[in-house]
Amino acid sequence: MNIFRFAARALRREFRHGELRTLAAALVLAVAALTAVATLGQRVERAIVASAAELIGGDLGVSARREIAPEFSAEAQRLNLQQNRSAEFPSVVFADGKSQLAQVSATDASYPLRGVLRIRGSDGSERDVNAPGPGQAYADGLLINALGLKLGDSLELAGKPLTIAGEILRQPDGGQMFSLAPRLIVALDDAQSSGLLGVGSRARHKLMLAGDAAALAQFQAFAKANLKDGAQLVTVAEAQQNLRTAFERGESFLRLAALLSALLSGIAVALAAQRYARRKIDEVALLRALGLGKHRVLASLSLTVLMLGLPACLTGAGIGLLLQQIVLNYAGNLLPAAAPATSLLPALAAIAVGLAVLVGFALPPLARLRDVPPMRVFQRAVGLRPRRFDLLYLLPPAVAFGLIMTQSGNSTIASALAGSLLGVTAATVCAGLLLIVLLRRLGRSLPGALRFGLANLARRRGLSLIQATALALSFTALLLLAVVGPGLLAAWRADLPPQTPNHFLLNLQTEQRTSVETQLQNLGAKNLNVLPLAVGKLVAINGKAPRAEDYEDRRAAGWINGETRLSWSPALPESNVLKGGAWFDGKATAPQISVEQMWIDMLGLKLGDTLSFTIGDRRIDAQISSIRQVDWTSFRVNFFVLLDPATAAELPHSLIASYWLPAERTVELRSISRQFPNLSMIDINAILDRVRDIIDRVSSAVMAVLGFSLLAGLLVLIAALNVSAEERRFETALLRTLGAKRGQLLSTVLGEFALLGLIAGLIAALGAISAGLSLGRGVFRIAWHPPLLSFAIGVVAAVALVTFAGWLGTRRIARTSPVLVLRKE
Amino acid sequence: MPQSADVILSASDVSKAVAGPDGHLQILDSVSLTVPTGETLAIVGASGSGKTTLLGLLAGLDNPDSGDIVLDGSHLNRLDEEARAALRRRRIGFVFQSFHLLPALTAEENVMLPLELEDSGGDARSAAQQALASVGLEKRLHHYPHQLSGGEQQRVAIARAFVHSPRLLFADEPTGNLDARTGRAVSDLLFDLNQARGTTLILVTHDLNLAQRCRHVVRLDGGRRVDEAA
Ligand SMILES: Nc1ncnc2c1ncn2[C@@H]1O[C@H](COP(=O)(O)OP(=O)(O)O)[C@@H](O)[C@H]1O
Ligand SMILES: [Mg+2]
Repeated sequence: MNIFRFAARALRREFRHGELRTLAAALVLAVAALTAVATLGQRVERAIVASAAELIGGDLGVSARREIAPEFSAEAQRLNLQQNRSAEFPSVVFADGKSQLAQVSATDASYPLRGVLRIRGSDGSERDVNAPGPGQAYADGLLINALGLKLGDSLELAGKPLTIAGEILRQPDGGQMFSLAPRLIVALDDAQSSGLLGVGSRARHKLMLAGDAAALAQFQAFAKANLKDGAQLVTVAEAQQNLRTAFERGESFLRLAALLSALLSGIAVALAAQRYARRKIDEVALLRALGLGKHRVLASLSLTVLMLGLPACLTGAGIGLLLQQIVLNYAGNLLPAAAPATSLLPALAAIAVGLAVLVGFALPPLARLRDVPPMRVFQRAVGLRPRRFDLLYLLPPAVAFGLIMTQSGNSTIASALAGSLLGVTAATVCAGLLLIVLLRRLGRSLPGALRFGLANLARRRGLSLIQATALALSFTALLLLAVVGPGLLAAWRADLPPQTPNHFLLNLQTEQRTSVETQLQNLGAKNLNVLPLAVGKLVAINGKAPRAEDYEDRRAAGWINGETRLSWSPALPESNVLKGGAWFDGKATAPQISVEQMWIDMLGLKLGDTLSFTIGDRRIDAQISSIRQVDWTSFRVNFFVLLDPATAAELPHSLIASYWLPAERTVELRSISRQFPNLSMIDINAILDRVRDIIDRVSSAVMAVLGFSLLAGLLVLIAALNVSAEERRFETALLRTLGAKRGQLLSTVLGEFALLGLIAGLIAALGAISAGLSLGRGVFRIAWHPPLLSFAIGVVAAVALVTFAGWLGTRRIARTSPVLVLRKE
Repeated sequence: MPQSADVILSASDVSKAVAGPDGHLQILDSVSLTVPTGETLAIVGASGSGKTTLLGLLAGLDNPDSGDIVLDGSHLNRLDEEARAALRRRRIGFVFQSFHLLPALTAEENVMLPLELEDSGGDARSAAQQALASVGLEKRLHHYPHQLSGGEQQRVAIARAFVHSPRLLFADEPTGNLDARTGRAVSDLLFDLNQARGTTLILVTHDLNLAQRCRHVVRLDGGRRVDEAA
């Protein structure tokens, strides 16, 4: 027989039945959530990399105290990279007899390669522009005010008159990150012709590049091999690191929500498939009697479900793509102008997961139909044989486990989730069995209707257990989504406190420390944190000189070829956690170091390894005595490598400070800067703003996905309760025929359902709390206190919901004439 | 047991028991019978006497605990379930008391089913249309079962039972759910088929009139054969 045609026909005719629609809807939801989350995650991550480039005005660059050697430009040209040349220098600007020190960017017309330069023109309108043309300049508000000018006036730079064509509103920070002086942007040619860039100037020259990743990597390799005379690479790594860490936790939320909706869908699919299978028993018996082989029975059923599942998955992927686009549109300027295109890979992966859910959860109940005896066409009493253990029952847990492992993207999330779901399942089954035993014992002493209702639970033992487990699991997922998720999210947002350090101060000398600290405190600086900083070079690992090409991790090259910043501290610094070993006890006789986890992974290190650094003219061979994990989102000054204080005491070093300063007082830092010209001040407000922005927007996206997953959860509930309503139809009708009063019927059902809801709700609350605690601690590093009231409300809601659904189903049946119901059976 | 050329179905000492809630239950006890090719057999007896169980065993839907059944030359107990399924597909037609039409399929599609199961090639649709025409339902091809009366449904079932020209037709109380007149029409149809096509007809019935129209009658009581031939 043509199984395809047969299956297609079955599908066409049977779609009107609830089960297949539930099944399809569950798949659509799961695939949509997975697609949306994975695509969104990928795009936002790419956007973050791009927005880090925006902060430095290009993807990569070379900077030097002199003109950048022409071979760099030639190489960039060969690699088809966009180029922007600029020079930055402080210079005094004059106007009408007033003068002001300004930080000048002289740049060619291609500026900025990444990000935007936004000005207010003399007509008052805001627009995004490139570098000013010859004879023109853009100045920031500070400079314009300081010189008492307005837009369109002219100022003088090194004897050259320039018209102020615009006020700078926004600018890729580039080199200006290190400066607090008012800013001026001029054309590179003007600066050159006025002799500002000649021999002996204080200018820092930059060649910024932008282009495709492969070419950039090639250029980076070339540049490293050819850097000399103090020339440096300018990379986005640092800005990226902060942004990425901020995003990673947001992404974990997203993945968690999507995973939960996939698991919920799995339960819905399993329940729907089970119901579908029950309804198909008669048909299968007939087909078997007419001579259809076992295997073809299974094949045609599977095909029917697959024919339904495939379009459902495709629809889900379509909805998911649409959804992530909506979220992105809503998230607005989170993405830089060149928004990365959507890749279809995450959608395809989501479809694959959807099909896995379908096969994993729908196949076992359908496969049981193989065993329908053909004799059942004659005798309905001949049911499915009481079965032995069937390997197929392991399929749903296996698929669920596989999903958790592959989709959580994080082993801590995976184990927290798998653990709590497993615990909930085990607890529900145990509680269920215990209850059944108890009911057998106590049953006779309960009042009539209640006794009958509870006897129902005990009699349909298998079904009751399946139903209770499905309910408990879906309540767990719902509580995770509705209570735990938003709670963690709120804790995470609060985690970047209002006075997060927003300035760094470099090159502070020990003798300047007290004075600078006092002045900063007078300005209202908070959270001031000062650490020593020595610059060294990693020269050996366990006695051998490291070679970049020996490490898979591409970041390693940067550290092996470049400088390493080291610090030391008597106590473990804040926002650091010890992961292994012990903190310096001051008793060691040989040098010791504490290394951050990222370095450990990157360089394949372990406790006890020896790292050698040259610092100035000293060489230190230090043993790794502890491993730390740094919370980079704290925006404190942190180091990958910390020396023990005893060894470090004599090292040449400067100090580095981090602190928070209210935005309006930033201008006043200038007085400190004038007094101590050696200081470098870094304003990281731009990065912080972006991080806050990302957290906010990612949380909105998470909330949207959470809501979406809640839908999937409700679907499961409906499916689960439908199963039992169906089960009950005949019985209720029969009781009705025998003359049971409606009140009796209702209390029967209510007793049964309320107990079911209570057990499922309680166990689910415990499961969700334990999952929330381990997620908070292990994944999001947030102290999360379970809101017990919300959970109590959750349990009450579970009882109410289940009872209400039961009442609804039964009320309908109790109203219809029992004869009709019986005849239909 | 050797089977003579003109015997299409024979059972010897067939027994069947099940484990019921109250212990061992002997449903059939050493039942033997033979049916010559092209003839008709009625199995009669009180409700619960084991008629349906016997019919199921004879048609190869289930295995007896002991005894041998030979259907059209095949020893059923020597075949596995797949082989018995193939045998049913090719040689047997069924008519049930409660019709057992697939609600999702039209009358025509229901009748096409055995041909599709066998994938016999040929035009299943026109064969089904002919079969339906011969039971007088040529106007109801595209009706679904719920749009047909009980008698009409049973006629569709009969069309389905002979559309693939089986050698035997098994019917379990084919008129049990029908009123007397409709029942009469349905049984006429079955006997006409037996006459016209030589299809061996084995039916279970309460209806003595119907039983008397058969050439052979097997009477069961408590799982034992109690008619004269026993
Ligand atoms: N699978 C079974 N399990 C338990 N009892 C059965 C089974 N099949 C048949 N019986 C019992 O065997 C007896 C004969 O059944 P059946 O063959 O249907 O009788 P009839 O068709 O003559 O009414 C009945 O009492 C029936 O309950
Ligand atoms: Mg019977």
